[in-house]
Amino acid sequence: MSEDNYITFDKYLNNELSDLELTSFKEQLKSDIDFKQEFEIYKALEASLSSKFENEEEEKALKTTLSKLGSKYLKPENTIKKKGKLISLFSNKQFMVAASIALLIGFFIFNNGEPVYSDFSSHNSLELVVRSDNSETIIKAQEAFNSKNYEVALEQLTVLSETNKNDAEIELYKGICFLELNNYVEADQIFDAISSGKSTFVHTASWYKALSMLKQEQFEACKYVLQTIPESADEYKQAKKLLKKL
Amino acid sequence: MIQKPHEDHIYIEALLKNDSRVLSKIYEKFSHKIVSYVRNNNGNSDDAQDIIQETLVTIYHQAKEKNFVLTCPFDAYFYLLCKRRWLNELKKRGNKRVTILDDTTSITEEQEQQVEETEIFEKQSQLFESKFKELGAKCQELLKTTFKIKSMEKVAEILGVTYGYARKKKSQCMGKLTQLVKNSNEFHQLKAY
Repeated sequence: MSEDNYITFDKYLNNELSDLELTSFKEQLKSDIDFKQEFEIYKALEASLSSKFENEEEEKALKTTLSKLGSKYLKPENTIKKKGKLISLFSNKQFMVAASIALLIGFFIFNNGEPVYSDFSSHNSLELVVRSDNSETIIKAQEAFNSKNYEVALEQLTVLSETNKNDAEIELYKGICFLELNNYVEADQIFDAISSGKSTFVHTASWYKALSMLKQEQFEACKYVLQTIPESADEYKQAKKLLKKL
Repeated sequence: MIQKPHEDHIYIEALLKNDSRVLSKIYEKFSHKIVSYVRNNNGNSDDAQDIIQETLVTIYHQAKEKNFVLTCPFDAYFYLLCKRRWLNELKKRGNKRVTILDDTTSITEEQEQQVEETEIFEKQSQLFESKFKELGAKCQELLKTTFKIKSMEKVAEILGVTYGYARKKKSQCMGKLTQLVKNSNEFHQLKAY
């Protein structure tokens, strides 16, 4: 097929054909099967590729959301599996050394009595980028939180929570900032509100409430909260570990 | 044809809007039986997660490009799509001792039709993409820029060529691509539908 035909296709799709050209184009579509087939393919290609390239960023953002949700909802056994693999990487000798170090650390902790907040306070990083609104604030909040700059993170999260009322995830991370900054009253208020709510962060909030109790050295209250975390929760293993030490 | 959307069309909209709140419902409500299906058929939960994600991304593209309207319940539609995707994956892996445990999900003609529509959409997109990659580097770059930046004036500026040349080149490259698609076996298989 001649090159001119493709130029005609392109012009047609851009509404650039003159009346005369348009009439003859339509005529040819009717009479020339090959011409018609190529035009159909050309049109479909144009639609498919332009949609694909136009939405590349959006697709990436969607994938981020989906992977996050996937690991949250579908892989409870994942952490266990990974730990299993890690051990098998050690050779026997290395394993013995590692094990004895672990034993020593264990002794150290037990001999020192009560467990401490910092043993348990590794937070999941904040990942809100997938949301479409307020992107600059989100990025700032995230960067600050993930680099443990809790004061700045709290400021940004507070801005965010004003436009996203009742967003449990934002609230939760605000709570963590308060906890890190030793503002226990505010922190506990937030954790209590979330853990008595209906979001997907109910048990995470309970876990943090327990950590707050631990940090305030209210060990009985801490134990009590830990016992409310069910076996199905992601935090159950950690909760059990902490309970043992209390 | 104007189609009346099913109430579950909210899930399609959530994909378009990247609404993680509504999307989490898909994982909460519909995904566990897909995980069980994959795990009962020579897969693990990582496989299931991939299958689910790929399926959702395909539906997203179909909605974006073709304004796909869901006219049946999402549950059965989604489950069947994932299931067939997993069976294809097993075939690709050349798994010889596949023991497919088929469950008896009753499915209406309409659901079947929507599933097929999505599958054909995906096959076509994959064909276009693979043929696109067969083009020369220059054509690929020109087309990619053209489709990302809608104005041909700007495209010409970015690529440092005249407007007229950019237009001509674009139709040439698209022409080449049209030929590649037209002469492929896959295209003739798709046409049979």
